[in-house]
Amino acid sequence: MRPLRVLAATGAVALGLGLAAAAPSSAAGTSDVSVLHGVPGLTVDVYANGDKLLTDFKPGTLTDPVKLPEGTYDLAVFPAGEGPDGTPAIKADDVAVPSGANITVVAHLSADGTPVLTPFVNDTSRIKPGETRLTVRHTAAAPAVDVRAGGTPVFEGLENPKEAKADIPAAKVSADVVLAGTDTVAIGPADLDLKEGTNTIVYAWGSAEDDNLDLAVQTISGLHSAPGGVPSGTGGLLEDGLPMPLVAVTVVALAGAAFAGRRAVLATRRG
Amino acid sequence: MRRWWMLVAACLVLAVAAPLGWWLTRPSSAEGVAVTSVGAPSPSASSPSAPASPSASSARPAVPQVTARPATPADGSRPTTNPVSISIPGIDVRAAVDPVGVEKDGSMVIPRSVDRVGWYRYGPPPGSDAGAAVVAGHVDSKAQGPGALFRLREVGVGDRVDVRLADGRTVRYEVVGKETLVKKRLPTERLFARDGAPRLVLITCGGPFVPELSSYRDNLVVVAEPVGGAA
Repeated sequence: MRPLRVLAATGAVALGLGLAAAAPSSAAGTSDVSVLHGVPGLTVDVYANGDKLLTDFKPGTLTDPVKLPEGTYDLAVFPAGEGPDGTPAIKADDVAVPSGANITVVAHLSADGTPVLTPFVNDTSRIKPGETRLTVRHTAAAPAVDVRAGGTPVFEGLENPKEAKADIPAAKVSADVVLAGTDTVAIGPADLDLKEGTNTIVYAWGSAEDDNLDLAVQTISGLHSAPGGVPSGTGGLLEDGLPMPLVAVTVVALAGAAFAGRRAVLATRRG
Repeated sequence: MRRWWMLVAACLVLAVAAPLGWWLTRPSSAEGVAVTSVGAPSPSASSPSAPASPSASSARPAVPQVTARPATPADGSRPTTNPVSISIPGIDVRAAVDPVGVEKDGSMVIPRSVDRVGWYRYGPPPGSDAGAAVVAGHVDSKAQGPGALFRLREVGVGDRVDVRLADGRTVRYEVVGKETLVKKRLPTERLFARDGAPRLVLITCGGPFVPELSSYRDNLVVVAEPVGGAA
């Protein structure tokens, strides 16, 4: 599940879990695709296969997930109002969208500041009860960083355009981003409510040189699972069978019947 | 002589009637609808109409329009509507409610004090628009005796359950089903489902006690649906 990188010029990219057997007419499945804009200072229109997908898409905004039919897409990003016939600011041709994946396509700066498109496959596997999933993605024109929660490094040495993730107990954390191996804060701190059963994806974006580094957050909820059981009694006080007094009554009644029966038989013989 | 025979008959009737009467009048272990059937998604809901692809000659799929929103970190503070107490007047149940999570082994935390009950705080709170609000409590404990939900097995379909929330509101429910389910096969994914119709799920222990395990074999599960007009 490593992210694949698409350079600004051209290039074919297989999105996600390998090349989909791209029979174009079979619209069998779909994938949930979101787009994040992480290139500072550039409002854009986004085209897919020549159709306008997004208008006036501003830096630091994220689309709602859209169900894209399985297939191959040409993605192009133009400065707002300039498409689709000129030269795109960023483009990626022959992007294969498989079936059943959850993908975020990020328009961002590479480590050296070139605008690129990077598709990431989001981990939507089930999360254990009580836990949350934290994913961090380095999509900023900046050197390697450490991501800290409450001052303690959680992910270290993360480079553009890589991601790191972990399932941890659900909690509210104060997160910041520092230059790798240092205490020099590059972004934050920001308060994150890491909810149970949710994948919180944090993007570092912008440019260190232009002093506009920032965080963007995407959440994917509904990944929770139920507790394993409900252990709710250790006493054994609950009577499941016949209560003792009733057992006694039954025993006494049977004994009485036996006694009376013997007397009755004896009386019969005598009689 | 006849008198003895009559005594025999009377004693035999008593010996049969005592356990039979108990058996007929004891609380039933299952009543109403199946507890897993409430709020289950209807089978037709899962297939959205496939978008007809109007891209005439193009071999590439058509693209829908999309909306976008700022991806700034949210502060996540939302007004809480945690439940604080629960009462079932019909069986004299009244207990304080603690928000609880999970134990290390993945099972639901049950408040140690047997006169308190726990609400599974990762699921929806009572009064939500959707999903199962789960409240569980000890039926008893060796050290503390009977718990808050000791009499839960006596609850019947139609009984009222009131849950008081932290903001002062009360959500009223009505019992629709009761079942005793073997713990090892407890359908937790259904009972704790966070989607489907709003409902309250009450869980405690039941069935035979297994002394070697210091535990009951079964869980008693009661499901209730909200009734209009929260007091």
